[in-house]
Amino acid sequence: MTTVAVLAALLAGAYAVAVLEAWARTGRMRPGGPLFAAAALIGRESFVPRKPDRLFFEAAPVLLLVAAVLAAAVLPWAPGLVIVDLATGALFVNAAFAYVLVALIMAGWGPDGAYAMVGGWRFLGQLIGYSMLIVMPITAVAMRAESLVTTVIVDSQAGVWNIVYQPLGFVLFFIAAMALAFLPPFDLPTAPGELAGGVEAEYAGRRLAVLRLARALLVVAVALATTVFYLGGWRGPWLPPWAWTGLKTLAVAAAMFALGGRLPRVREAHFLAWCWKLGIPLALLNIFVVGLLVLAVP
Amino acid sequence: MIHGARRGAWSGLRRLTARAQAQMLAAIVVPGPEVAAALGLDLAGAGLLPAASPRHASVLVVAGALPAQLREAAAVLYAQMMRPRAVMALGAGTLAPLPGADVVAELSQPALLDAVRRLRRAIAGGAFRRDAAGFDAPVLRSRTEYVCPMHPEVVRDEPGSCPKCGMTLVPREAQDEGGHAPDAVDASTGMEMEAGRGGGESAYTCPMHPEVVRDEPGSCPKCGMTLVPREAQDEGGHAPDAVDASTGMEMEAGRGGGESAYTCPMHPEVVRDEPGSCPKCGMTLVPRAAAAKDAPEAGHAADAASEAAGGRHAPMDPSGAEHSAAAHTGMDHGAMDHVAGHSTFMSMVAVTRDLPRSPDGLPMDWIEVPFGPLFPGLPGGLSLVLTLDGDTVAGAAAQAPVAAAAAAVADAGGRGLPAAEFARRLGAMDPLAPVAYRLLARRALECAAGVEPDSRGARARAGAAERERLASHLAWLAVFLGRLGLEVHARRSWGLAASMRGADAARIAGLAAAVRVLVRGVRRTPLLETRLAGIGRLAADGRLRGPVARAAGVAADGRVGDPVYGALGFEPVTRPDGDARARLAVRLDEIEQSLRLVRAAGVLDDSGVPGIGAASGTGEALVETPRGGARLAVSVERGRVTAARLDTPSTVLLERIGSLVAQCELGDALTAVASLDLSPWEVVA
Repeated sequence: MTTVAVLAALLAGAYAVAVLEAWARTGRMRPGGPLFAAAALIGRESFVPRKPDRLFFEAAPVLLLVAAVLAAAVLPWAPGLVIVDLATGALFVNAAFAYVLVALIMAGWGPDGAYAMVGGWRFLGQLIGYSMLIVMPITAVAMRAESLVTTVIVDSQAGVWNIVYQPLGFVLFFIAAMALAFLPPFDLPTAPGELAGGVEAEYAGRRLAVLRLARALLVVAVALATTVFYLGGWRGPWLPPWAWTGLKTLAVAAAMFALGGRLPRVREAHFLAWCWKLGIPLALLNIFVVGLLVLAVP
Repeated sequence: MIHGARRGAWSGLRRLTARAQAQMLAAIVVPGPEVAAALGLDLAGAGLLPAASPRHASVLVVAGALPAQLREAAAVLYAQMMRPRAVMALGAGTLAPLPGADVVAELSQPALLDAVRRLRRAIAGGAFRRDAAGFDAPVLRSRTEYVCPMHPEVVRDEPGSCPKCGMTLVPREAQDEGGHAPDAVDASTGMEMEAGRGGGESAYTCPMHPEVVRDEPGSCPKCGMTLVPREAQDEGGHAPDAVDASTGMEMEAGRGGGESAYTCPMHPEVVRDEPGSCPKCGMTLVPRAAAAKDAPEAGHAADAASEAAGGRHAPMDPSGAEHSAAAHTGMDHGAMDHVAGHSTFMSMVAVTRDLPRSPDGLPMDWIEVPFGPLFPGLPGGLSLVLTLDGDTVAGAAAQAPVAAAAAAVADAGGRGLPAAEFARRLGAMDPLAPVAYRLLARRALECAAGVEPDSRGARARAGAAERERLASHLAWLAVFLGRLGLEVHARRSWGLAASMRGADAARIAGLAAAVRVLVRGVRRTPLLETRLAGIGRLAADGRLRGPVARAAGVAADGRVGDPVYGALGFEPVTRPDGDARARLAVRLDEIEQSLRLVRAAGVLDDSGVPGIGAASGTGEALVETPRGGARLAVSVERGRVTAARLDTPSTVLLERIGSLVAQCELGDALTAVASLDLSPWEVVA
């Protein structure tokens, strides 16, 4: 029952995210847009390129979907409303997100096309930039909660949310989460106008529908993770807990889209330089400061 | 009913999806969105969604007449689109080899709106058809040829092994007609065409073991690799064997006069007279001479690499060193790995040994990737073939297949064209700058005939030229911002560019506020300057013109010294850096400047034909087009143009692309090319 409820919440979240994304991209709010888009994609021809790595080509969208759902499976919507409350939840989120890279490399390799392949490998470079900035801020979050259990992490923010307690960690995680979900301005693997869709270029019809759904779920998953780790999860007055989680998650996703639409796509070299020369020292500083706070303010 | 309907009977679900598809029309526009904007079309404003790739598009919008070369590329593009797909022709003439248009309309925004409405109806009611026919065109027909992965010059019609290195040749697609370059197949976007488009039936073969042929997909019984489709010979009559018998002979000779013994790279004791596979390990046998020649060399290279500290083989990459170290300390199977290029094992040392090296020293597989002539994100009609070394551009070949238009105009003079017709043709040459080229023809003809232009007319024509510059810069801005991912600004810019067409001074004054808001918004975009700094740097020299030269600090501007512009208070805009950031800054400044000039001119008019009567003489003129100064020299005899020489700014830019993008990251290279605002239409070959 819990599982069904969480999956329904994830799908509803993906729907809302798709509406938000179309709004950010076209400037028009069409509440029915994703329904039309899905119905249209399902009725169009799907296509297998002539020399595919068939396994990679077919499996990549599904793997991306699975990675997003797995990560979301350990993130709570409300007390008790979580698919699995793992003892190593925060670590598991990381592990699940690692498969995003695998899925994108497979989607790039599978069709045997130059644009897709360049897009896939670009994401590998991107991972080298963002991956530490996912792990290190989560480390500081777990330090404060003294636990990797995601529900305990939410409880640890009963007084002060982590966005206030460790704002530096929040900023770094937020940016890294955008890069992980390859949202603009970190959309190097798809790069419209540059790679003719990149990893998406050879997907069409129902396969593209799965890929787009997976991507929307991934955005929900990273926004939900940001909510749980930094925005106090389900905490909030008046509304039921699940509503707070949902609202905060959508707000995070909307903030990501709004920011993405106003920034030019990063250059791979710049992104790596910023991540390693600036991001990682700041993440270390964040861990140090949180450590001091944990010791000083019991 | 549409030509590109999907095969199948109607059902409830299909009715539903057909209606949804009618609502979600993703369009790809040829020759390009910048041409559509120059013709006054705002596609987003008409409800057409942009498609990043032809795979995701459902409508092919043809804006204006397409030259023959682009029609072929458009047919390839159309074949890449998924069914149901439709063609919308706006003011287009011949479309073949494209199928007939599903919706035809004239070139105007109201007509476009109406056409979109009609197309929605056609798709909602005709997306599926029981007897839907496939699409076929000569440009799509292809055959399979075999090429050596290491020696691209070795191309055969039959599977076999390379006479140089003995590697098994791998299948590759080529076009099934004598004259065309093989690249033409994938030229428009580099994507493969749909699988089920008819023509030859497919057989499946192993990329490593060509002797394995199956009727169905599956994996190779020898090496387990996935079988790839091999197109069976076309029934269409071509017999590739017969055609290339001569090359087949060469191949025999190249092998060294019948001394053809085959051996296993792993088991040298296995020697056979014929190609085949090794009875011990199943690997493909390689010609003995090649194997014998290769092994020591590969070993030497690897040894040298293991002494990488010596630096003699500096270009060899560290992975080579690691690899050979592993081979030596490991199972002592050095020889196995070093000749592994012939087998399913791919040793980096052996595979990359003969590859050209880029300055960064990393040996990688180089691939040629075509961008254009209809690539979303590059000017329509510009064809760029980039040799990619990883994601670094190792080399570039730029061509403008539509350049013929400029040459034809220049030639036309030789046949004694009436002056008015000459001016009309020059104006129609470049859809991105018709006003400037009409003005150029007029000035040159007036100069030849010794006619003094009336000052009021000259002022109105200057105003019209500035309006065109405004529209052109805005359309460029839209393309450029779109490819940087700044879609909000890009969309606004498209709308403004399209509404400049035919606008009078009052209308432009009304749009001026919106234009200024856009320009300010772009200038204030965070990180944009950092993003663009240092990309596509071009040093100023005498040949660069227009915004590209002005962005490199040279005030090369045909308007300097023109009394009409002097009266309007014109001063050229320059920036020192010569990179993409400076080009953006110069064009933003010029957008504001053109707004001022249009207001100062007051009237905008470039109608009327140059009246030179039956005069004779020679004349020359220079006009600052949106892309820089274009120069035209004409000889006129009794009112007819007998010779013309045209020099345009994009011709120089096209030559510079190769050096501009060398060793750039792919994204930076495309940004650099886009920052030039090259018009392939005006290139003089």
